[in-house]
Amino acid sequence: MPGAQTAANATGGTVNTVLGPVPARDLGVVAVHEALLSVLPGAEYAFDVTIDRAEVFEILAGKLRDFRERGGGTIVDGTGMFHGRDLRLYEALSRTTGVHIVASTGQGPEGLLGGYFLTPQTDPPTPWPAEKFADLFAEEVTEGMVVPRVERRGAAGLVATAATREGMTATDESLFRGAARAALATGVPVSLRHGNDAVRDLEVVLDEGLPAGRVAVGGLDRADAVASGAPLEIAARGAFVLLDCVGTEDGGHITDAERASLVAELVAAGHGARVLLSSGATGVAKGHPANEVGYGHVLTAFAPLLKARGLGDEDVRRILVGNPRDLLSVR
Amino acid sequence: MSRVNTVLGPIPTEELGLVAVHEHIGYGMPGSELDTRWWKTPEERYGETVPKLRRFHEYGGGTFVDATGICNGRDIDYYRSLSEKTGVHIIASTGFVGGDTALPFFERASVEYLAEHFVHEITVGIGGSGGKAGIIKVGVSRGGRMTDLDKRIYRAAARAARATGVGVLTHLAIDAENAIAIFNEEGLPLDRVLFGHVDDGVNADKTRDTWIAEQGGRIGFDTFGYETELPDPPFWARPRRERLEHFLRFIDGGEGRIRQVLASADANCSPLGWPGVKGHTVNYIFEDLIPDLRAAGLGEAAIKTIFVDNPADFLTIQH
Repeated sequence: MPGAQTAANATGGTVNTVLGPVPARDLGVVAVHEALLSVLPGAEYAFDVTIDRAEVFEILAGKLRDFRERGGGTIVDGTGMFHGRDLRLYEALSRTTGVHIVASTGQGPEGLLGGYFLTPQTDPPTPWPAEKFADLFAEEVTEGMVVPRVERRGAAGLVATAATREGMTATDESLFRGAARAALATGVPVSLRHGNDAVRDLEVVLDEGLPAGRVAVGGLDRADAVASGAPLEIAARGAFVLLDCVGTEDGGHITDAERASLVAELVAAGHGARVLLSSGATGVAKGHPANEVGYGHVLTAFAPLLKARGLGDEDVRRILVGNPRDLLSVR
Repeated sequence: MSRVNTVLGPIPTEELGLVAVHEHIGYGMPGSELDTRWWKTPEERYGETVPKLRRFHEYGGGTFVDATGICNGRDIDYYRSLSEKTGVHIIASTGFVGGDTALPFFERASVEYLAEHFVHEITVGIGGSGGKAGIIKVGVSRGGRMTDLDKRIYRAAARAARATGVGVLTHLAIDAENAIAIFNEEGLPLDRVLFGHVDDGVNADKTRDTWIAEQGGRIGFDTFGYETELPDPPFWARPRRERLEHFLRFIDGGEGRIRQVLASADANCSPLGWPGVKGHTVNYIFEDLIPDLRAAGLGEAAIKTIFVDNPADFLTIQH
């Protein structure tokens, strides 16, 4: 099986990429929560959706090269195992562009799951419990990520999950607990998108015994999260504060200027080692609107705003290189 | 001209022969493809499937209707190769087994979009396979009542059935009042609808089969073979004698009732996302059901009505 090296045969200080374990020091600047091919589940069957792999490759390769030219080294595809993940395409993209690609296992929120997990063929149709999600996700690290019904390939580099925006459901909680257990068992981190209460959602994975330093909490540049003071609270608990929509200015999020101020505030409060930045860009989107922000936006458009807020080169480099390296290193 | 869409192209109704009207090449809930416990190699899948279809053909079976909806492992290229190599006509479904098997893209879609999608699969083709759907599958989600999404799918199916002339096949016939209200509102005659699974062990008591028949619907006794006598029966199993008596009671229950009834086994040739039921195949129709019907006194004409004439009427594209 090409590319089937896993964390099990990797030594410390490595990160699982789609081409195998890579020394963490080689990652360079990391865009820690992006999407390569993003497919709303089911869209692949729609009569008016075409997924031309050659075309998708060309578009993504162009965007990855642009990212590299702006100083980027590594892209994390945070879409999980059921939102268009295409491992063979990502392997070819990484080989061709020289950008490291880290792919994720995990799923969520509940509304994006297939019926297999929600209404199984049992009586009654009880949704999957945490333990089964834990095994499903952990095996994608220890045995390799699935190409459905065909094969396993490289090891997942992280577990990505999300809670329902209106508030964590019971199945979301099973996903979070499963993600935490998989992370504990395998040494990869959890990247989660919170629902309507970031601190409470973080506490669910911490309750499983996962150290806060192994968790990135996303969605923290949403206006509601910032208004509630969540970013500082999350950092104070030792988890990574992930501002994952940098470049999006849509009313639902704070602006880039406000993001820069928030980062400066976090750094001033001593949380510089707990800040992560990404754009949540979708390289190619099928069945849902794309986020057209470029993968290099943080590097070329946003980093100058940080310097204007008084952050030094070291601070910025720690946020773009050191923090994601610490998060993604398999423990 | 009479015609029916099979996965290899249209055929005349007269060529259908004996029809297994509610079967599965392989069914799996959406997402089951992520769970390696169910994976089988192509060798295993063909190895489990081809002998069953060949046996079906040798018994005199003509047509296998695959009731696997979109997102449930439906695989038209695979069905085409099976049909071509075994000589069994295979009819594929558009539509969904139930709202709870429709993935988020379709869950969020409008009735108009769903209808357009179904019509496309019937008139243009399914994906890039070149195969067209010959039937529309709809169904009731787990829980016993039609959900809003179930209802949107039924409404879209009714519109697509009217636009294309193909029939609608249901998974479960519970909550039929809501289903029939939708078909009536959309102007779809109820003889274009086969209300399936009236005989399954969980829902038979809650299914108003005679009432549906009185409204003009076709009635599917199509879980024959899922029996409590099996070594490891599924939860929807039912005592063999009880199901057979239910069927016989139904066809004796009214003038012309036998013209409304269809029968099948709902077996998986090679299940995709569940263990399946060992020993249960489409060939239950020949090996058990038809002998049981003969033993109960049904003549050859009645058997032809149930397995040949009624499916031909139902499956023929209406113009």
